[in-house]
Amino acid sequence: MSAQPLPSNENDASITTIAPKEEAPTSVRKLPPPEKPSDVRRRSHVILSFWLIVLLLGLPIWWKTTTIYRADLPLEEMLEWADGKACRPVFPLRISIQATSLQDQEAQNLLRLTQHALDDLNDFAGHHLRLQLGDEKQDSADNGSALTIRLTQGEGTTAMLDPYEPILDITYPPNTIPSPTASSSALATYIASQLRTTFAEEQATISYLLSTNSMPSEHRPLGLSPETAESLAKRTTRSLKYAPTYHLTFSLFTSGSLPSSWDIEMAIEEYMKPVLDVLSPIHNFTIDTQVQLYASPGVQNQVLNKEDLSSFINAAEWPLSPSIGGAPTINFIVFVGNQTIASASQDAAPTSQSWLIPQWGTVYLLSLPGDTTHVTAATLKQPLLTFTTHLLSLTGTPESGSLPLRLSTLARIRSADLLLRASSTLGSLARLAMALPSISIPSSVADGVTKTMSHLRLACDNLGGTEGLAHARIAEAEAERAFFEKSMVGQLYFPDEHKIAVYLPLLGPVAVPLVMGLINEIKAWRKRRRERAENGAEKKEQ
Amino acid sequence: MKLSSLLLLPAALLGAAPSYAEHTSNWAVLVCTSRFWFNYRHLANVLSIYRTVKRLGIPDSQIILMLPDDMACNPRNAFPGTVYSNADRAVDLYGDNIEVDYRGYEVTVENFIRLLTDRVGEEMPRSKRLLTDDRSNILVYMTGHGGNEFLKFQDAEEIGAWDLADAFEQMWEKRRYHEILFMIDTCQANTMYSKLYSPNIIATGSSELDQSSYSHHADNDIGVAVIDRYTYYNLEFLESEVKDTSSKKTVGDLFDSYSYEKIHSHAGVRYDLFKGGAEEARRRLVTDFFGNVQNVEVDGGKGAETNSSFEEEMVKLSRTIAELHKRAEEQEAVERNVTTKTETRKQQQKKIQQQVAKPLTDDSWWTKKIVGATALAGCAALWGLGSYLEGAV
Repeated sequence: MSAQPLPSNENDASITTIAPKEEAPTSVRKLPPPEKPSDVRRRSHVILSFWLIVLLLGLPIWWKTTTIYRADLPLEEMLEWADGKACRPVFPLRISIQATSLQDQEAQNLLRLTQHALDDLNDFAGHHLRLQLGDEKQDSADNGSALTIRLTQGEGTTAMLDPYEPILDITYPPNTIPSPTASSSALATYIASQLRTTFAEEQATISYLLSTNSMPSEHRPLGLSPETAESLAKRTTRSLKYAPTYHLTFSLFTSGSLPSSWDIEMAIEEYMKPVLDVLSPIHNFTIDTQVQLYASPGVQNQVLNKEDLSSFINAAEWPLSPSIGGAPTINFIVFVGNQTIASASQDAAPTSQSWLIPQWGTVYLLSLPGDTTHVTAATLKQPLLTFTTHLLSLTGTPESGSLPLRLSTLARIRSADLLLRASSTLGSLARLAMALPSISIPSSVADGVTKTMSHLRLACDNLGGTEGLAHARIAEAEAERAFFEKSMVGQLYFPDEHKIAVYLPLLGPVAVPLVMGLINEIKAWRKRRRERAENGAEKKEQ
Repeated sequence: MKLSSLLLLPAALLGAAPSYAEHTSNWAVLVCTSRFWFNYRHLANVLSIYRTVKRLGIPDSQIILMLPDDMACNPRNAFPGTVYSNADRAVDLYGDNIEVDYRGYEVTVENFIRLLTDRVGEEMPRSKRLLTDDRSNILVYMTGHGGNEFLKFQDAEEIGAWDLADAFEQMWEKRRYHEILFMIDTCQANTMYSKLYSPNIIATGSSELDQSSYSHHADNDIGVAVIDRYTYYNLEFLESEVKDTSSKKTVGDLFDSYSYEKIHSHAGVRYDLFKGGAEEARRRLVTDFFGNVQNVEVDGGKGAETNSSFEEEMVKLSRTIAELHKRAEEQEAVERNVTTKTETRKQQQKKIQQQVAKPLTDDSWWTKKIVGATALAGCAALWGLGSYLEGAV
């Protein structure tokens, strides 16, 4: 209160101080007049109401505004997905047999025997070939079968993959048709082993994928030899992570001022477009091209060793990362110069002109006569063909079998890959939510998780088919979005000193009068009680 | 791959543990956390490491550089447009080819953690993101003013050792790195990595608890210290021993080059998080983290001609297949068109209408109305109550 009392207060004070002035002599220290009981009661009501407001309004508000919102996540289920318990990745591949020259009975019998032989050969339950009798008219793509076997009568037993369609042509001599009572047949065994050969790489790749992920061991196939595992590891290292869209950058680098133009558009149209077209159900591609003059490579040696090749790209100066859109870039570089690559074996003339950089792209060394100003499409043929092959291996396409079969295998491998990745993201998110109790989890994350799991379920049920990839793709995208939710960040750990430093200046000044008021009030109350008790005792004595 | 080998392999051989020894990309996160002219040396520290990793082949797109201040353009800089880390002023670190990803007040704890965990918005360009995967090695270099278990960012905030540890753990959970070399040059730096708990991290720092990290020397013309001792001797090793990416010097060699006499504080190294412990960690090459070593695959082996004919064949094949696909699709489309042409048109029209109508039929339209009405009614009631009470008194 200021030194000068306010008029209204003065008025109050005068009322209450009139009485003692009259009674007490001026020499004795003036005592305040006894409080009226109504004032005492009012004061305790004031203090009580302050405390009630703090406890009933302040505390809940503080609690509500400072708690971290954590949406409920189905943690158990998420971990089940991550551990591979929720989905058993099974690839039931349907294979239809077209045998027009056989009678129905014979065909059925052959099918039964072949299925037996297949089941005997198969040691990996996840990848499983199921035979069915196909109809001549039906297209192989329509009935959802991965491969069609066309049986025709011929001279000897031969097998050949059709280059254009997923069809395996098998010829057989007439006498090899098994009799209805036979329990085994050479032809059936032959077909079975052919099928197994055809799908061996796919099987190996998928079992490798499963083994590198945290799948429980009973679903994990045995029998991957170290060498196979190593070559598969190498291949998975080489191939890029799956993305729905890839950006292809074609660059022409030259150390001088020439050549300054190239027929890249025509060359792409001619030598690469067809492959991009067949890959289009799995990936989209965007393309840009550039020509850079006076570009010096990172290594100037005339003959490049293998070690030189990895530092050949002059990453500091060459503009290779366009950062266009959100798609990962695959680089294809044609470098015009007369440098050569040292061949591994000393005796042979250097034949290779290109090298592949895993997950990055390809460099092709093109030596041209010094006065070439324009690189024609014909000159670009060899580089572009190399790029095309490398593109297939960068996207993770298997290396054996006919092209249609390789592509359908790629789709299946990619959907398995996406499925596993989305599952493992779910697991990461679940473990993170448990490990960091102070991280906030907005409801959008819970939504994403629900969506991911429903699509994962659909993908898991359709793994062998075409829808599997689409669902796996959505599931993976949703899982990524949920994990990388923008608002799930901020400092997670606050030391206690920080909390004190924040709250003390704020709550200290408020808390002191509150607490002191309460203590005084309790003291006064106890004093009153004692006095009353004493008074009571005196009265009794009297 | 040889198919025959796949078939002939005995099934009894157990699956070998997949070897993860190889990484396919190298990334560097270089962070300076202090601003103002007298902290010139911290920016010089970061820029000299930036130059080194660039010299060893990491492209700018894979280097995230955070600079809170611009020393080159500071009015107190006697050599405008340049930054030097040595009094001989031989190498201009700023140069003409530098890409700063986060600068000025963008360098915050939040942005740093967002960068590591990749929790960024759609609007963030790819060049400012750490797009690593489980085959990426990352060098994380930090410098600035720190204390016991914290590093100060820009005089305004600080990152705690726990925050850093949690960020790395989130990266590990999402398989965002293969191996990390964490390097920090600040006072009491070793406390910063004491809380890390994620695997495959090698951590090193310039000074122990209660030790300062000292500057190496000052440039009298610039007027301030230009580099810290720890960074200076790291650079010395990198410049003299790791001349190019083919260098076979190991991380162990680098750590052995630290000594109290040189650095004037006890540099620390932490190996226990690394799989295989100290022995394995020390065997990693310096270029595994500072360089961009790619395991290239040279073509050839087969004759070039047979190869090319095979490739041509493939292109021809795919062309035919694409054509077949196209024809099949066209046929399908024609069939579908005949039956559903009118339907699709109707649907399209409907779609257009829906799009136009969307802002009006927003889902929360009614809720908004109700909320507004309630608020109005509440205000009216309050006013009424107030005037009634006034009248009563």
